[in-house]
Amino acid sequence: MGQTTAPRGRAEPLPVERGRSYQWRLARSGVLMTLPALLVVASFTVYPFWYALNESVHLSSPILGRRFVGLDNFRNVITSPYFLDAARTTLIFGAIAVPVLVVLGVLVALLLNERFPGNTLLRAGMLLPWAIPASVVGIIWKWVFLDSWGALNAGLYSLGLIDRYISWLTTPWLARFAVIVAFTWSQLPLAAILLLAALQAIPDELYEAAAIDGASAVARFWAVTLPGIRPMLVIVTLYEILMALNIFDITYAMTGGGPGTATSLLTYYIWAETFKMLSFGNGAALAVVIALLALAFIAAIIRALPKEALLGERA
Amino acid sequence: MRRRSSAQRALIAAGAALLALFWFGPFMLVGIGSVIPEGNLLSFPPRWFAHPPFLGNYRYIFTGEIPQTYLERGALRSMISQEVRLVPRAMLNSVLIAMAVMFLSLTLGSLAAYAYARLRFPGRVATFNFILISRLIPTVALAIPYYAIVLRLGLLNTHWALIAIYTVLTLPFTVLVLTLYFRTIPGEIDEAAQVEGASPLQVLRHITLPLSLPSLVGTGLFTFMLAYSEFLFGLLISTSARTRTLPVTLGTLSTNPDVAWGLMMASIVVGSVPTLVLVIPVWRFMVRGLMSGAVQ
Repeated sequence: MGQTTAPRGRAEPLPVERGRSYQWRLARSGVLMTLPALLVVASFTVYPFWYALNESVHLSSPILGRRFVGLDNFRNVITSPYFLDAARTTLIFGAIAVPVLVVLGVLVALLLNERFPGNTLLRAGMLLPWAIPASVVGIIWKWVFLDSWGALNAGLYSLGLIDRYISWLTTPWLARFAVIVAFTWSQLPLAAILLLAALQAIPDELYEAAAIDGASAVARFWAVTLPGIRPMLVIVTLYEILMALNIFDITYAMTGGGPGTATSLLTYYIWAETFKMLSFGNGAALAVVIALLALAFIAAIIRALPKEALLGERA
Repeated sequence: MRRRSSAQRALIAAGAALLALFWFGPFMLVGIGSVIPEGNLLSFPPRWFAHPPFLGNYRYIFTGEIPQTYLERGALRSMISQEVRLVPRAMLNSVLIAMAVMFLSLTLGSLAAYAYARLRFPGRVATFNFILISRLIPTVALAIPYYAIVLRLGLLNTHWALIAIYTVLTLPFTVLVLTLYFRTIPGEIDEAAQVEGASPLQVLRHITLPLSLPSLVGTGLFTFMLAYSEFLFGLLISTSARTRTLPVTLGTLSTNPDVAWGLMMASIVVGSVPTLVLVIPVWRFMVRGLMSGAVQ
């Protein structure tokens, strides 16, 4: 830009109009500035994914060496009763935990949207479960539900509500319940705050108009609130599905996948198959399966987002 | 203001009480559990409060001095887990890793975010989407390849491997948030500087970054918290007890059937301090970001 000799004034062309070489230099800066981040992300995404794909069609063993087996690994894992069991557990887990989270998220958001003493304290209290590492969430709830001297058993017993300790973590359905409680506890804050943000964006006039029309509180909820938060509801639901597919730390610390395989969710199963059983081919095939599943959800999330939500030009 | 019936008020009060119990209850139980001697904790019927509050668990974590109450009963002696003494060390590991990640993520992230927010160049939208979508792949799907790569590079059991992985995992978030924030800064300031002959890099350094300080702090701390909390890769990559991060140290402690729960509770309280200190500024930043409609 050094060659500009004309005196500066209103006639000075804006940089955007200054010609092709300037445009080209800006574009070059753009590419150079995004390159480091892009290279880092790409090398840790594309290569590993390719690696997993490649590994998933090979069988490596210390004795026979490495050979191509096509889709055998996929057939192995998909037909394995353990995989089907983990998939079923994940499905049950998601089918219960996600609706519970979304409904509770709406209820908590509605509650925090009201004025009452202690509201700020409750909002601040949401920080705690949200900020704690998920493995610690697992330990905290393990302590609550522990069979032999857990806080819940001790408390219920001391209150005289039970006369014998309940085996929360060693009874399959109770253990699943306990894991869902822990998961809900750690996920609810973000779900609720996102929905609260959406609630607060609904214009008051809509409520006033509905009230003038004589709509009851329940009718107002269905006619005004729900349509207003629907985009966020979709986002929260899909996000929580992804989180439910990803859950690992909580079950690792809380139940170790047990009792038996009652709380072995897909991620835990993949981890155990790969790093406990050391069958990398099967693990990689599972990883590819779960990545494809997640990509399907991602596609759904992107379709649910309003167009031009992120990089689109604003009017 | 709408007036509420007494039934509505009762409903709100009940909901608030339940929610408070749900949010705070488990933490209070952990706090209580950490100051009860092991003998009382394991007693049946429970005699939790038969002993005055007891700080021996905390003392043991930092000094290695075995609490008197553990010596009283021979059977409990074995329940003292040496691993608990690694908690301060693990916290240091986690803090160092998280600080490096925060620095790297902010540096790479702000460079890219400026370009996405201000410059037009080929592949802008495609690469932006790619960076964001990369983060939605379940981490367990990446675990095997990452493990193999780290193994091949000879970086197993080092902090470098974790720093690199966490930088990749946090970068999409940093890029997204900073891009959205940079776009809220009026472009005229940049243009004025460009007229003066400043390059995009100089504009970023001297104008955009100083103007974005609140967002940088919030994003950086959020990145710190993510790196501090991560579990799966920490578990895979740090196999020796000394290089382990805090979540991994605590997570493996909890699967150890011999662990003393009083010590476990005290470790959780100690290990949660950094997150609890950071959480208020991070939350402020997040809530403000959400309320201003960045996500809408």
